[in-house]
Amino acid sequence: MRGRRLGILVAWLVALALLGVIVATHLKVGTDLRSFMPAPTTPDQKLLMDQVGEGPGSRLLLVAIDGGDDATKAALSRGLATALRKDDAFTQVVNGDFDLGMLDTSLLPYRFLLSPTLDTGALDETYLADELQQRLDDLGSPAATLLKGLLPRDPTLETLKLAEHWTPARSPEVREGVWFSSQGEALLLAQTRGAGFDPGAQDDAIGRLRATFAALPASKGSHLTISGPGYFTVMVNAQTRDEADWIGRISTIGFVVLMLVAYRSIGSLLLGALPVATGALVGIVALTLGFAEVHGITLAFGFTLLGVAQEYPIRLLSHRRAGESALAAVRGLWPLLLTAIASACIAYLAFYASGVGGLKQLAVFTIAGLLAAGFSTRYVLPYVLPETVRDVAGMPWLASFRTWLDALPRPRWLPLPIVAAVLAMLVFAPGPFWQNDLSALTPLPRDLLMKDAQLRGELGAPDVRYLLIVQAPDADGVLKASAALEPRLREEVAKKHLDDFELASIYLPDLATQRARQAKLPDRAALDTMLDTALEGMPFRKDLFAPFVDDVETARTAAPLTPEVFSRSPLGQRLAAMLAHRDDHWVGLSTLSGVRDANAVAAAVAGAGVNARLLDLKEASESLVAAYRTRILHAVLAATALLFITITLALRSIRRAWHVLAPMTLATFLVLAVERVLGIPISLFHLVALILAAGLGLHYALFFERDTGDPAEQRRTLHATVVCVIAALLVFGMLAWSSIPVLRAIGLTVALGVGFHFCLSILMAPHADQDRLR
Amino acid sequence: MRVLDKPLIVSGELGWLGEDRLERRVDAPTKEVSTIADGEVTQQREGKKPRTFSLTRAPQLKVLLDSFVALLAGDPSRLSESFEVTLGRDADRWALTLTPRDARVAKQIARIQVYGSGTLARCMRMDEADGDMSIDLLGDLATKMPAEPTREGLIAQCGGAM
Repeated sequence: MRGRRLGILVAWLVALALLGVIVATHLKVGTDLRSFMPAPTTPDQKLLMDQVGEGPGSRLLLVAIDGGDDATKAALSRGLATALRKDDAFTQVVNGDFDLGMLDTSLLPYRFLLSPTLDTGALDETYLADELQQRLDDLGSPAATLLKGLLPRDPTLETLKLAEHWTPARSPEVREGVWFSSQGEALLLAQTRGAGFDPGAQDDAIGRLRATFAALPASKGSHLTISGPGYFTVMVNAQTRDEADWIGRISTIGFVVLMLVAYRSIGSLLLGALPVATGALVGIVALTLGFAEVHGITLAFGFTLLGVAQEYPIRLLSHRRAGESALAAVRGLWPLLLTAIASACIAYLAFYASGVGGLKQLAVFTIAGLLAAGFSTRYVLPYVLPETVRDVAGMPWLASFRTWLDALPRPRWLPLPIVAAVLAMLVFAPGPFWQNDLSALTPLPRDLLMKDAQLRGELGAPDVRYLLIVQAPDADGVLKASAALEPRLREEVAKKHLDDFELASIYLPDLATQRARQAKLPDRAALDTMLDTALEGMPFRKDLFAPFVDDVETARTAAPLTPEVFSRSPLGQRLAAMLAHRDDHWVGLSTLSGVRDANAVAAAVAGAGVNARLLDLKEASESLVAAYRTRILHAVLAATALLFITITLALRSIRRAWHVLAPMTLATFLVLAVERVLGIPISLFHLVALILAAGLGLHYALFFERDTGDPAEQRRTLHATVVCVIAALLVFGMLAWSSIPVLRAIGLTVALGVGFHFCLSILMAPHADQDRLR
Repeated sequence: MRVLDKPLIVSGELGWLGEDRLERRVDAPTKEVSTIADGEVTQQREGKKPRTFSLTRAPQLKVLLDSFVALLAGDPSRLSESFEVTLGRDADRWALTLTPRDARVAKQIARIQVYGSGTLARCMRMDEADGDMSIDLLGDLATKMPAEPTREGLIAQCGGAM
């Protein structure tokens, strides 16, 4: 007998090891936080999700260099920018240091097509003579050294006009040639190639940035501050992992102590862990089969949720009578255990119906895990457990606890005052009922957010809230529509409705505009004649302006610049970020900064007669959350209906089903009411946690409702339930201390829920009276 | 200058308004007043809108301003902050050679030489890194400016005073 037990145990362990090998070789863990955000449905919401992760705003890292004198900081800023511009992880680095190299030399002739100068004047003799005279005056000034290099190729200083045209109206103060904040830090903006919400890519980019900075000479005495969505993503990720680690460690230790105290057997502890281990491994294997990539958070949350499965071996261990074989015990328990497993799986189906990628994975993981843990408890565990155990029903403390519980009054009218209290608390609770703000789930320290706001303000970095959307069948159409918006928005800036705007057409005019400018350029012969006349009486060398004449000729005859060609230059990166090809049309995404009157700006945009509108990302995200919530609520309702049917069928009695479902429903609403009275707005994660708590509460009610008529069995039920409740309180109570809002929401809700479910299912259990009568 | 086929002559007045403020008034060939004050350069040309830019956008200008101000204020410590200073003497005549310390400035300005006698500076010569040169004849030397100056003639006139 002993040998057979050992054989089964070894076979089980080998099976687990094989599952472990599959997991180790096939599991691919992803990190994009967006898979835990609601799936977008409307075009605005889709844009929002793209913008959140990959939009130019979210890929921007704000960098401040502090310490040392201005010259040192400026030199560091310049050194850092130069090094990062060569780094593949960054698409754009700006620090206020205008660099003509930003415009590819091969694109220099295009300055006549890019700059609006030709729209109002012509490149004729008068203009040339005037410009040349000015250059002569410039040469006589101390600024001569600055201009001499540009002169032969660009005597009209078109490149400088273009640079001015492209410089944002509100840029930070420039000291020593680079941007400085009002607090004396050198400022720098770096745009990463990786998505903003991809912690892996962002961590890599930030690591490179720091390493580059540390490698600069004289960086020792200076300090680097980084901010921006990407940095926050990395912070949150590290913080989540840290907290999950220490919470997990403490929970595990507590759990081990609890099991030892409850069963006083190391064998029971180790063997009792096997079903959950089986569940976890089977869950992961199911994930690797169903999904290409498993999210890190799925695994972290999944293990927490799977903690419920520990209840199955606990029930088996607690319900064994002295001398009874484990197999007999589990057979007695199995109908109820199966109901419990089925109902928990139904509750987790609500996650699957939520339509969120990450939650779907979570559902697959927990349902597969629960089934595996349940069935291994039924069909494998009894064969490996020791033959004789201590009957927990004989524990003196348990008997007195049961007596005390039985002595508690349990009036039939109890539900009425609870319902009244719940209603009162819900009605009088402070603050909004729903949490609509996605950012409220950000676990970031307040001072970090303040620093971000300050840097953003100083840099004139775009508002994260508003986005101007321009749509057209092709890229050129977007540019044309953007050009039509330019004067409108300029008016709005003049009216102080907003500070500044960025439009694709500012960087690259549409083809028609470029062609119109081309038509205004003189041909080589005409330009030569005009130049000769204009140069008469001036001391300039005769052949000096040959590169200028060549450039004009190139600009006149070349094919106009397309976004594709332009975006290959360093400066074109900015344009590429503003143009996106989506399905069958093109979308232009323009950022606005310092929006003060959104309605006025929206009206001006709408009045321009092009397909453009102002998108309020906050509104889009709130509508997204609201839609998500509706979906989850529907899923929860469906799951509840299914649960009622399952329980009623399993118990074959509406009256008995009522005794199970009434305490569960009441406790669920009680948790909701208490959280509302504490001023906590209900987020999606609270809803998810309520479902989880309800699943646990259902187990308690099911077992308490079980009418065995045997006081020893009642005590065993109590023992098992108390162990389960303490285990759940341990795990979820720890989560409630977390600084991460999501974890806190789940921890607090489940911990409260477990407490309420336990108390109500005891107080509303039907056969307590019978117990006392006996 | 290499971009021009003959020297460019500009005449006017350079005034030090105290502290970091300078005024450069040009009378010929075109009237122009540039003021440098509080790190801002304002350029006013006849018949044109005034142009303003920050001195920090043009570090070379800042160095020039520093040297002018330090010279005019007679502040040797400030001068040696931005330049390596060597002084040559011959009886009551002297020559001050300033070499920029900042590598970025040195890329454009090779050196500045100031010639004088007694307590008067008579001529200032700036050699640019690309071989161009500008010569400021100061005080009474300015009145001796020939009508058709040549590069060699001016160098002789400026350094010849030494």
